[in-house]
Amino acid sequence: MSTRREILKAATAASALIASPSLVFAQAAPTRARTLRAVMHGDLAAFDPIWTTANMASYHGGLIYDTLFGIDSQYRAQPQMVQSFNLSDDRKTYTFVLRDGLRFSSGEAVTAKDCVASIRRWAARDGGGQHMFRRVTDTPVVDEKTFRIVLREPYPLLIDWLAKASTNVCYIMREKEALTDPQTQITEYIGSGPFIYNRTESRQGARYVYDRNPNYVPRSEPASFMAGGKVARMDRVIMENMADPQTQVAALQAGEIDFVEWPSLDLIDTLEKDRNIKLEVMNQSGTMGWCRLNHLHPPFNNVLARRAMLYLTHPTEVMKATFGNEKYYRGCGSIFACNTPTENDANTDWFKGGQNIDRARQLFREAGYDGRPVVLLSASNVQHMTNAGLLYQQWLRAAGVNVELVTSDWGGVVARRANRNPPDQGGWNIFFTSASGSAYSNPVALAGHASNGANAWFGWPTDEKNEQLRDAWAAAATPEERMAAARAMQENAWNYVPHVHYGQWLQPSAMRANLTGMIGMPELAPFWNVGRTG
Amino acid sequence: MLAYVIRRLFSTLLVMAMVAVFVFLLLHLSPGDPAAIIAGDNATPEAIDGIRQKLGLSDPLPVQFIRWIGHVLQGDLGVSIFSNEPVLKLVGQRLEPTLSLALTTLVVAVTLAISFGVLAAWKAGTWIDRVLMVISVVGFSVPTFVVGYLLIYLFAIELRWLPVQGYTPMSEGLDGWARNLVLPSIALGLAYIALIARITRASMLDVLSEDYIRTAKAKGVANESMLLKHALKNAGVPIVTVIGIGVALLISGVVITETVFNIPGIGRLVVDAIAKRDYPIIQGVILIFSGVYVLVNLLVDLTYTVIDPRIRY
Repeated sequence: MSTRREILKAATAASALIASPSLVFAQAAPTRARTLRAVMHGDLAAFDPIWTTANMASYHGGLIYDTLFGIDSQYRAQPQMVQSFNLSDDRKTYTFVLRDGLRFSSGEAVTAKDCVASIRRWAARDGGGQHMFRRVTDTPVVDEKTFRIVLREPYPLLIDWLAKASTNVCYIMREKEALTDPQTQITEYIGSGPFIYNRTESRQGARYVYDRNPNYVPRSEPASFMAGGKVARMDRVIMENMADPQTQVAALQAGEIDFVEWPSLDLIDTLEKDRNIKLEVMNQSGTMGWCRLNHLHPPFNNVLARRAMLYLTHPTEVMKATFGNEKYYRGCGSIFACNTPTENDANTDWFKGGQNIDRARQLFREAGYDGRPVVLLSASNVQHMTNAGLLYQQWLRAAGVNVELVTSDWGGVVARRANRNPPDQGGWNIFFTSASGSAYSNPVALAGHASNGANAWFGWPTDEKNEQLRDAWAAAATPEERMAAARAMQENAWNYVPHVHYGQWLQPSAMRANLTGMIGMPELAPFWNVGRTG
Repeated sequence: MLAYVIRRLFSTLLVMAMVAVFVFLLLHLSPGDPAAIIAGDNATPEAIDGIRQKLGLSDPLPVQFIRWIGHVLQGDLGVSIFSNEPVLKLVGQRLEPTLSLALTTLVVAVTLAISFGVLAAWKAGTWIDRVLMVISVVGFSVPTFVVGYLLIYLFAIELRWLPVQGYTPMSEGLDGWARNLVLPSIALGLAYIALIARITRASMLDVLSEDYIRTAKAKGVANESMLLKHALKNAGVPIVTVIGIGVALLISGVVITETVFNIPGIGRLVVDAIAKRDYPIIQGVILIFSGVYVLVNLLVDLTYTVIDPRIRY
């Protein structure tokens, strides 16, 4: 029979055995001070930033991959992996030379072949890439570090596309992964960026661990958005998937995490009072809320009914109902979002005049609206969309429109919005969505700016002039020409009305006050350059 | 007895087959398109179609069902549409936190609830009985997430005694494991304690009014022995039944508790999967849950024979 002492000994030995992996782990893992724990706006559901346009996949990509060019804080493209590049006299051939010492985290050198394969895979999925590749005739590899892009005609946007930070971003992968069918997700995540994805320590749906890449060679310039030196000052970055907003804030206050990307705006007051926390708007171009109209079916197949929606919309009521604090929202009349390089005020008298229900009612009448139900799709799990649904329902009724509000979760909306049938056969008339102001500012990259009928984004607007103006914007040789094209596009857009805006909001991020060097930029969460004091 | 167990195990398979068909149809016929979610909001309809084709979601429903059930019969619950990880691996990663939470809750709740119930019945009509029953009513009435937030505020934010959230695997130290489970176990266990305590009290009151208890008292049997040996054992069947029923309560409670306390368990896995329409994960987890639930019920039925030898199958 075992004595009590023997049992205690056995229990101690068992405990030590159970705890031993943690002891090993504890020696290998970076200290808390050298680890950044961040809660992002969603879960990293998929890891291939080319396969999906989900922002979380792009965040993942931004940490582990590098880009040939990167935009700086002035939205100018700067060389990143590229050492030098030149354009031929006929402006049809770009030649790129890579920097010395670029290596993937697997140890292999980054070569021109990797870059060409990555560009081709990206261009198969990205709107900007597709626009560019309609003019590309060849992408020859010259040597290990040099490759070319040969065009049929001059295309001034090429460098901008390679540098853009909005999804899909042209991340450089190994040729092995980059040759994967763009419709199929890659399964190995090896890049040459400032961090390495630590698959062993990560738990799908719970946390994603990134370790500093010791072999990364940063540029010497200071970090600026996606440009400059991407110096990882933390040894480890952990993106935690924490669904509950109250818990996010409590964990931040308790110091268990360092950063919450999108804290609930209901809890901002609590955070503002805590001196250990600071709030910063990381994406100054904000997010646009928009009301997409279905151009295939009555009443919005009539331009007068679409114009009615401009007058019907209150510029800030949905924002006020959702975000409360005026500091974090505004109305915006520019079709390219406000506080972006393409913002302008062409043809915005309707916006300056504010909401005008009487004018909307009159326009619906002129459009021959016959009282048929207008189907609104609203996502109950996205607060601004829920509020937009309720307020538009109220405004449309006030304008004499018969409204049917269909509520589901966002997954239900994305399925139904693809249905081109009439609203009474499973289709729709209006749905609500949002896009980053930065993505919105680009007339070509945002699918929602296209009005090419059956090939257009959901709502399927048709406007020949809009398409010509988008091409003119892409072909513009100078910033002045490009701005003129953007103004003309907006002038035209607010006449045929592809969609309507219901506001722009600036989501503050919350972080521990001792964090330094956080780079605030649209579309990405660059965790290089981030340090900690004290 | 053995024949009964075999019969019940066979019926478990039948129930799981029905659940499989039901869940598959429910998911695929309800609105939602994982391809559209994968492609992202800025994707064109063509890009979404391409992804749908690649995932086999454009195939007719019977083809998709046969493909899935064929894999299930070989022990393969499929692969997550989003992460490409096998469902069994994902469930395996989430099993420990969920089991830890469920078992600690169960142990704490059953121990406290039965003690409360026995005490309340013994002291029926006194202030002790009333206080315990008020606690039970409050515990059952206040939603788990409210209790969770209150506990976090008090013990994690104000007093800083315990962590707000997260889970520490047992292999990384029992201390961390236990500290992370205290608050969620209390939050989840409160409703469970209330449910079992009330049933225990009612069942004990019935038994305590029986003739043999009066005889025992007359013979001078000690209170402790009378309550625990004579009364509680005879009051056991309804208590075990409600513990079994409570497992369903526990499963739904785990989902909320895991979200509030950010515990990476199976509840969170399935909630996230539902939002994304990750069909293989939802189907796989519900299939596993249904199997567990049916087996727990079988276990409860078998426990009756231990508590009450008059019950025979």
